[in-house]
Amino acid sequence: MGFLFDSLKTALDLILSLDPEVYNTVWTSLYVSAIAIVFATIAGVPAGLAIGIGRFPGRRVVITLLNTLMALPTVVVGLVVYGFLSRMGPLGQFGLLFTPSAMIIGQIILATPIIANYTLAALSASDSRIMPTALTLGASTTRGAILLLQEIRFGVMAAIIAGFGRIIAEVGVAMMLGGNIRGYTRTMTTAIALETSKGEFAFGLALGLFLMAVALLINMFLNFLQQR
Amino acid sequence: MTPILSLRSIEMRYNKHLALQLEKLDFSAQHIYSLVGPNGCGKSTLLQIAALLLKPTKGQILFDGEQVLWKKNTLQRLRQNITLVHQSPYLLSRSVRHNVAYGLKIRGIDSKEQHRLTHSTLELVGLSGFGRRNARELSGGEQQRVAIARALVLQPRLLLLDEPTSNMDRASIEAFDRLMPTLVEQGMTIIQATHAPDPAQRQYSTIIHMEDGRLA
Repeated sequence: MGFLFDSLKTALDLILSLDPEVYNTVWTSLYVSAIAIVFATIAGVPAGLAIGIGRFPGRRVVITLLNTLMALPTVVVGLVVYGFLSRMGPLGQFGLLFTPSAMIIGQIILATPIIANYTLAALSASDSRIMPTALTLGASTTRGAILLLQEIRFGVMAAIIAGFGRIIAEVGVAMMLGGNIRGYTRTMTTAIALETSKGEFAFGLALGLFLMAVALLINMFLNFLQQR
Repeated sequence: MTPILSLRSIEMRYNKHLALQLEKLDFSAQHIYSLVGPNGCGKSTLLQIAALLLKPTKGQILFDGEQVLWKKNTLQRLRQNITLVHQSPYLLSRSVRHNVAYGLKIRGIDSKEQHRLTHSTLELVGLSGFGRRNARELSGGEQQRVAIARALVLQPRLLLLDEPTSNMDRASIEAFDRLMPTLVEQGMTIIQATHAPDPAQRQYSTIIHMEDGRLA
């Protein structure tokens, strides 16, 4: 127990003394995941809406595919994107591998199916009278879809937060596509894995505390919005 | 005079079940019609078809002499003349004022005019002072009146009402019965579905009896 307490004390010291390495790592994690979630939302929410509202051949197949993509192991996404971005790959000429941009691409791929699927679920559970109500009041189909989105806004927010939770806590993509470069692509999760394996348990714990704080803040924010 | 709505050889099937079959039915402008019949006789289906929300399996619809082609742009243009109030209407999870102003906003009416129209229409249905209240927190009868106000504020040429007074108390029904003929004077045509029209409704409307998806 002494070891754990000592490590916790050192971790708190690192946080309170504003250790630049800890804060740099936290910042990298946050900005990479924040940019990724914006793009994943732009892709995932309309996709979820289109699948939910649309009636087209192969819709069930698309939904099954979406469910499968939700469970994709992060290292598999990392591996596939690595293949595309590596020097020999089709996008190798852009030199994106081991940059924050590569991590953002990987995280967009991870978060988009989650956001689309949760949006679809929110839509399926929504009141079937919303769209006819909008149409009979003179709305176009697009305007009706916007109203639908407003009415299921809490479900959509939950979808975005679930997507963010997945990517802020993932290791595979950040490790394989970012390369865990100190001060550049090192995120909280890759740093925890690395520092703990080096025996720097307290440093890992400090980052772990930050990760939990991020999760807590996001949930508090969601609760705040739902109570408004 | 061209009927405001004409239905020709209409058939509506859900899978194999025939829900509605009408050879010919015309609704003249500036009249009130009451569709009367038991549950499941096709009244609501007819209203949804008339509102251009449901495409019939077969048949032709003419709105003010124009054939409905079920194309996106045409539908939106025609629907701006027709408003349906459902039996259990969906109210947006916002204020009463926001609900009533929704259709006006879509039509690009400026906010000052929206406010004026919303205020006067709420007064018309006996809900003045309710503007800031959350629409979902009102009683069933009040919610129904909000939905009616939301339709009336748009001044549709064709107003479709599905069991409009089912949740209202006696006083509200009487006020509603007084309101209906005044709407017709303003140029509206009203088709309402009802189980049993009250004596006032029998007086001011043309009764159309329905049974098993057909005119009785």
